[in-house]
Amino acid sequence: MHRGLRFYFCIYRKILAQDLKSKMSYRADFIISTIGMICTNISGFLSFWILFQNFPSVGGWSYYEMLFLYGFSLVAMTPVQCLLDNNWSLRYQVFSGDFVKYCFRPMNLFFYYQSEVFDVKGLGQMVFGIGTLIYAWVHLELACTAWMVLKLVVYLVSASLVMAALQNAAAASCFWIENSFYLLDLVMRFKDYAKYPMTIFNPVFRFVFTFVLPIAFIAYYPSLVILRPEAVPLLSWLSPLIAILLFYLSYKIWMKGAAGYSGTGS
Amino acid sequence: MKWKKYLSLTRAGILEALQYRLGLFVMVIGNLIYLIIVYFLWRAIYASAGTDVVNGMTFSDTLIYLVLATALFAFMEMYIVWEMGRSIQTGAITLTLLKPMSYRSYSFWNCAGGVIVQFFCTFLPTFLVVLLVTKGAIPLGINLLYFAVSVILSVSINFSIDLFVGTICMYTESIWGINIMKQVVVLLLSGATIPLAFFPEPLKTIAYCLPFQSIYNAPLSLLLTANPQPSVIAETLGMQLVWSIVTMGFSRLFWQVSLRRITVNGG
Amino acid sequence: MSYIIEIKHITKEFKVLNRHEGLKGSLKDLFSRDYRIVRAVDDISMNIAQGEIVGYLGPNGAGKSTTIKMMTGILQPSSGEIVVNGQIPYKNRTRNAKEIGVVFGQRSQLWWSLPLVESFKLLRDIYEVPEAEYRAMLDLYRSLVDIESLLHKPVRQMSLGQRTLSDILAAFLHNPKIVFLDEPTIGLDVSMKAKIRTLIHALNREKQTTVILTTHDMGDVDALCRRIVIIDKGKMLYDNDIEHLKRFFGSYRTLKIRMDGDLQQSAEAIAQQMPEFRVSADTDWISVLVDEEQASVMAVLARLQERYRIRDMQLEEISTEAVIKKIYEEGTQ
Repeated sequence: MHRGLRFYFCIYRKILAQDLKSKMSYRADFIISTIGMICTNISGFLSFWILFQNFPSVGGWSYYEMLFLYGFSLVAMTPVQCLLDNNWSLRYQVFSGDFVKYCFRPMNLFFYYQSEVFDVKGLGQMVFGIGTLIYAWVHLELACTAWMVLKLVVYLVSASLVMAALQNAAAASCFWIENSFYLLDLVMRFKDYAKYPMTIFNPVFRFVFTFVLPIAFIAYYPSLVILRPEAVPLLSWLSPLIAILLFYLSYKIWMKGAAGYSGTGS
Repeated sequence: MKWKKYLSLTRAGILEALQYRLGLFVMVIGNLIYLIIVYFLWRAIYASAGTDVVNGMTFSDTLIYLVLATALFAFMEMYIVWEMGRSIQTGAITLTLLKPMSYRSYSFWNCAGGVIVQFFCTFLPTFLVVLLVTKGAIPLGINLLYFAVSVILSVSINFSIDLFVGTICMYTESIWGINIMKQVVVLLLSGATIPLAFFPEPLKTIAYCLPFQSIYNAPLSLLLTANPQPSVIAETLGMQLVWSIVTMGFSRLFWQVSLRRITVNGG
Repeated sequence: MSYIIEIKHITKEFKVLNRHEGLKGSLKDLFSRDYRIVRAVDDISMNIAQGEIVGYLGPNGAGKSTTIKMMTGILQPSSGEIVVNGQIPYKNRTRNAKEIGVVFGQRSQLWWSLPLVESFKLLRDIYEVPEAEYRAMLDLYRSLVDIESLLHKPVRQMSLGQRTLSDILAAFLHNPKIVFLDEPTIGLDVSMKAKIRTLIHALNREKQTTVILTTHDMGDVDALCRRIVIIDKGKMLYDNDIEHLKRFFGSYRTLKIRMDGDLQQSAEAIAQQMPEFRVSADTDWISVLVDEEQASVMAVLARLQERYRIRDMQLEEISTEAVIKKIYEEGTQ
């Protein structure tokens, strides 16, 4: 099943157009979801602001550095929100047996399944995240060189991959466990904690959040490369590789689940 | 005998909640991890502050407050908005409407079952752990009684708000959007993410004027005060009672008006 | 005679948004206020007596479920009068609810994750069924179907057939005066269909429950209904005995014969010989649609035998399905 990237790109565009069309037909839904997304972001921002009204810094991290982490995690989450949102319905599809319809297509199953939904409201989050990032960037007086931007993009992508890997693996659990919603929900709750610097934790939990539940790779390790260039730990430099590895693993898990799937039928 | 049908619904809710053992398990783990994160985060925050007391709250006060707020949230969140939204969209709501009792009491008593299970599985263990870990930071006395009364009022306010928000789903397909907005507004303005004591002035005033602070802030402040002034107790509980009545009235009215819309215009 | 359901000239209109095509069109719809009025039910009247089983038929979108929703009180008619059980359903929905039972196709009213018996107990309490009556009902169920194997099974583990069966039992549990069954046999295999029909029939006979049945399965109609009501595009097309309907069209029978030679030519010759009947031919058979009010099939056959050497013959009754199809297509006139 090796076809050109061009083929997949073309298919993706077509499926995407269909999805957007059907989204538009739910008039208010579209607008309300977007507002809901903005509300979430504003509230996250407000929490930070309120916190720093009372305290000058958190564990040696200043307001703007924390904002940078926050903005970074928001942008990093956007691709997952936009492109892999169909993972949320995987559980229903598998449970009801509807999933079988994806198994008959002559193309990559994972690609086809995920291409079906594009979540537009994720773009709002991205705009908000980029805004926050730039705001923090300016106040931190970071240099704006091509080298910095390149680093930022590479590390954003790797952060996204980690996020995607976590979500894929959690969603794929529904192939084996009946009520996997809770797992997916749990993983998604973790993403909110990704914005905190790991230095606040004691060594045990730093280890846990690095190697067991790798949320530290969503914002903390990648940001270090930009925020604290004088003392970048090895894990930060390795994070793109780790991200690719994790994503690949989650993809394999997902595909293995799908391959073992037999429609429940009734 | 009139109560039998309601208690029966609650019993079914309990049985149903117990079916999802994995869910309960994951929920407990999730809460645990959340507690750890909250603990370290605020420890770091207080360490940076340099003083022990900020806005009248010590580190252990804040910790207890936030941990119990999360536990309260976990035990009151019954996904009513989701449930309502989905049944309105699929039309399954007609089956509930055809039961010989009002939709409001039907869903309340059915949810009550889940609330009871959650109370024993999340709130009580968390409460006990906090009690042991903080060694006496929670005063044990008459305040527990006020707290219990206050929590019951919280459940009622929370339910009314959920029902109100769920009713909006009759007008729009956007369950997700509606639900997330509600959650964000409630969590922030009720003081569940950051204690209201930390809010800067204008925001604090606004938060106190809204019903949301009655859900988490009111019971927790009653719990954490050892010998509260009778006037403070009366004011807090009175405020909750007023909000409970007001939100109940509004949600009931809105539901009835909207139901007419269903019966006139179809689901 | 008093009726349990009385419907006088009810009409139901809905406001529907006009949708546009394509991506641009859907963008436009986001802001459009372009509505039109659709009349889903148009001036329908009928009376239904206690204990009747009425087949309520019509193509998809004919207005069947809208009518049923009005009878149950979920919808309020735009105009006209409707009285169920002496009450106006939409005004007394919760009181009306006690006297009706509902099975909506594939939508289950059972508690998904609980064993069936828990759902039964819950329904018993919700409808406030006295313990003795509840037990009697379960005994009746036991005598009709094998429910022991189902009672302790969680609903989510049941097959579709078992679930439908359970749903029907649940709808009858509080001994309602009327039960609405919306497509009860949809998606089931032949033996399960038969089982469910027998069950509905037995419950109707035992408890004198009025049953309103919507279905697309003519097997259900033939097995259960004495009376049928047909609507299409919101309008009533037919309301009478099923026998009457069959007689109405049933005087027609199709005689099919096979013979040597070119069938097309022979068919034309026969058509000339008997201009009063419709004659057609396919590759195997010549079909003659005989109106028995004009001549008996035997007489026609005798006349044909005088001229042709008939090698084989068949006689076809018009099926209910064909009759209803005819009504959908051309109305009763």
